[in-house]
Amino acid sequence: MASRPGAFAPEDEQAPSAEEHVVVFRLGQEYYALDIQAVQEIVRIQPTTSIPGAEPWVEGITNLRGRVVPVIDLRRRCGVEAAPHTSDTRVVVVGGSTGMVGLIVDAVTEVMRIPVDQIEAPGAIVSVPQNAYLRGIAKLEDRLVSLMDLDGVLPSHDSADTEDSSVTETIARAA
Amino acid sequence: MAKGQPLTFDLDEDDLKLFTEEADEQLELLDTALVQLEGEPDPELVQQIFRAAHTLKGSSATIGHKRMASLTHAMESVLDAVRQNRLTPESDVVDALLVALDALRVLAAEVNTRVHSGIEPGEIESKLKGILEGNAAGNGVAVKVAPSAPATVPPAAAEALLADIAGGKQAFHVHVSIDATCELPGIRCYQVLQELEAIGSIPWSEPGRDAIESGNGEYTLTIVVAGLIEEGHVRAALEAVSDIGPVTVSHLGVDELAAASPIEAAPVAVARPRLSVVENDAAPVAATPDAKPGKKGSQSVRIDVERLDGLMNLVGELVIDRTRLQQIRDAANPVLKEANLQELMQNFEETTSHLTRITDELQEQIMRSRMLPVRSVLSRLPRLVRDVAAKCGKKVDLVMSGEETELDRSVIEEISDPLVHILRNAIDHGLETPEERRAQGKPETGTVTVTAWNQETYIYLSVKDDGKGIDTSTLRRKAVEKGLISREAAEAASDDAAVQFIFLPGLSTAKTLSDVSGRGVGMDIVRTNIERVNGNVSVRSEPGKGSEFIIQLPLTLATTKALMVMAQQTVYAMPLVSVTEALLEREADVHTVNGKRTLRLRGKLFPLIDLAEALGDGASTAPEGERFVVAARHGTRQVGFLVDRLLGEQDVVVKSLGDLIGNRKGLTGATILGDGSLGLIIDMPSLISEQARFAA
Repeated sequence: MASRPGAFAPEDEQAPSAEEHVVVFRLGQEYYALDIQAVQEIVRIQPTTSIPGAEPWVEGITNLRGRVVPVIDLRRRCGVEAAPHTSDTRVVVVGGSTGMVGLIVDAVTEVMRIPVDQIEAPGAIVSVPQNAYLRGIAKLEDRLVSLMDLDGVLPSHDSADTEDSSVTETIARAA
Repeated sequence: MAKGQPLTFDLDEDDLKLFTEEADEQLELLDTALVQLEGEPDPELVQQIFRAAHTLKGSSATIGHKRMASLTHAMESVLDAVRQNRLTPESDVVDALLVALDALRVLAAEVNTRVHSGIEPGEIESKLKGILEGNAAGNGVAVKVAPSAPATVPPAAAEALLADIAGGKQAFHVHVSIDATCELPGIRCYQVLQELEAIGSIPWSEPGRDAIESGNGEYTLTIVVAGLIEEGHVRAALEAVSDIGPVTVSHLGVDELAAASPIEAAPVAVARPRLSVVENDAAPVAATPDAKPGKKGSQSVRIDVERLDGLMNLVGELVIDRTRLQQIRDAANPVLKEANLQELMQNFEETTSHLTRITDELQEQIMRSRMLPVRSVLSRLPRLVRDVAAKCGKKVDLVMSGEETELDRSVIEEISDPLVHILRNAIDHGLETPEERRAQGKPETGTVTVTAWNQETYIYLSVKDDGKGIDTSTLRRKAVEKGLISREAAEAASDDAAVQFIFLPGLSTAKTLSDVSGRGVGMDIVRTNIERVNGNVSVRSEPGKGSEFIIQLPLTLATTKALMVMAQQTVYAMPLVSVTEALLEREADVHTVNGKRTLRLRGKLFPLIDLAEALGDGASTAPEGERFVVAARHGTRQVGFLVDRLLGEQDVVVKSLGDLIGNRKGLTGATILGDGSLGLIIDMPSLISEQARFAA
């Protein structure tokens, strides 16, 4: 799956031609890419149920053929200004370490192979906070594509700000 | 070799799984059977125990677990002596065997941990050997062998036999054990069948004739033979067969057969001297309630739980698609009608309704296949009761019934600990000592009854004792002393209400701490554990007569009955187990106390909370007065929840919110609604506790 930030180049073992096979999508005016291995499917935006008290970038949960799948608003997650959904809006369903997750993107533009030698470490171009979920920047002829690190985008459960209900329980009992 | 050292065994991953499963099964069987054995050497039981030990010896030797093999060998020798009536299974014999069993369990676990546990069975082995030698002196101690219950004769055969007897024939119930050393028991069984057939007719046998004739005989064989014969003829016929162990022959009269004849093997209450178990002899293949007796277990298959879970998920998806299809049908109907395509429409109708039936059926069948009889939990209890009773110096009769009651395996896993805890308490705190009981004119031996039954979509487990009951005055005093409740409230509480104080956290009623019931952390933990699986626990008590704990559990954790409500445009499911009632806001008696909305219901005051607000979704914007109030209870805490609308009751399938979202405050999961959208399931216990705390 996704490699660690800055450690992308040499470990591309199954691609002797040194290419990355990615799904490219658009958020606002920017292009991002995810490793195609991580993408399970791409669906149209569908109704979600919001979760009270969840992080602002959690759009809610949706029913994907009988599975409950959390959906993340990638614009909000990446600090891109919010915008209404259009007919191009898609949910990119990925399999991360926390299970299936849907990512709302403005449009899925293409599937492509990017030669590894066109990818640079992110530090050189973008500011620090976004380094957490970018693992590289590909310089194509006409534009830049940021390679997203899935584990960076999807925080693990430990770091998520959740309240332990057993603690609540204990306090309630003590009261 | 010493404790902590790594061990290696001769088996791969697959074998390990097999070994563990088999060992667990045999150990569990030994646990139950050994306790029953005491004072009651039913040959069939002895044979069963012997075989379990034998199997364990075989499998441990195969993987090269020498200490385990050697210990099972020592047990086997003792059991062999019992089997051949050379040794009576008095309590010292059973004690020694139980000690060996405990060691065996640890040794079996080493196969998984691959670390030496420090157990060296040498001492236990020499103790077993000592028992064997000590009793060998008193060789030939006659043991009265109880005849096997003729009630196992199926009704059809019993009827045929009654006709035979009416015609002047005699019928005998014959139980034969084949020596465990015999390599091919099937052949001996076949010989027995042939010898008996030569002197009479054989209307019934276990295993059945087909099985025996195809060489699938076992180490025990039960046959009913009828003819113009005497018991001597039967015994003489059996002498012709070699490798045969103890044989019991009992005469079957009209009475015995008449008892077996009506309907099928009815539950037979077997009164036993120390531990009595009400047994249901119906086939143990739980998933097929109509399985014929006499075909026990032969039709079952082991299935990986993960595979069942997978099936369950697939069916869940199918159910959703079915609902969608129904919606498409409804949308298509007018169009098809318009286009004069009546026939197509009708086909569509029929297909969808057929699909609906099939999916419902499929869902139910899969749900059932995940069900296990509670027997798997109850079977541990006789041993536990024996140990606890011995430790507390009490005499206890354990009566169990309803072991066939089925519930989802996920629930079974969760209730074992609470049940054990309640049972320990019943013996340790509930029952009096034999002296106290005698002084009160009660029988010295106390009775603890464990009953399981089904009612609607719940299963109930009751633990009832005939001890001294719960002392409510002590409970009141302790609850006040520990600051768990105000003095006024404690005094105002009725006795029935005061008994419930036992579930208050941090309250122990035992005057001294014993190592049996632990440190009095007991009952509140029990309640928490039971409520975690959407269950309930209540207690009733009568001074001097005893007390009864009743656990109510949902049949499965996969679905739960819930009241569906709407708050701030979101659909929520409130599990019914916590909901006490629902009413119109304008009909509710709402007051403001200290600036907080308070509901008065049935003479009690409790906080009224806006559900959406409590969950962090903003205050309700629905017009005041048109909303609804849902009253809910968790233990002794009550809260009223204000919701926008009531949507009715529904069985909801509980789905996790996923790791990314994790355990959100006040929510346990999500469920798919009829229209394919998602509703959120409320974690009632935590929400009620939290809100009651804020309000306090």
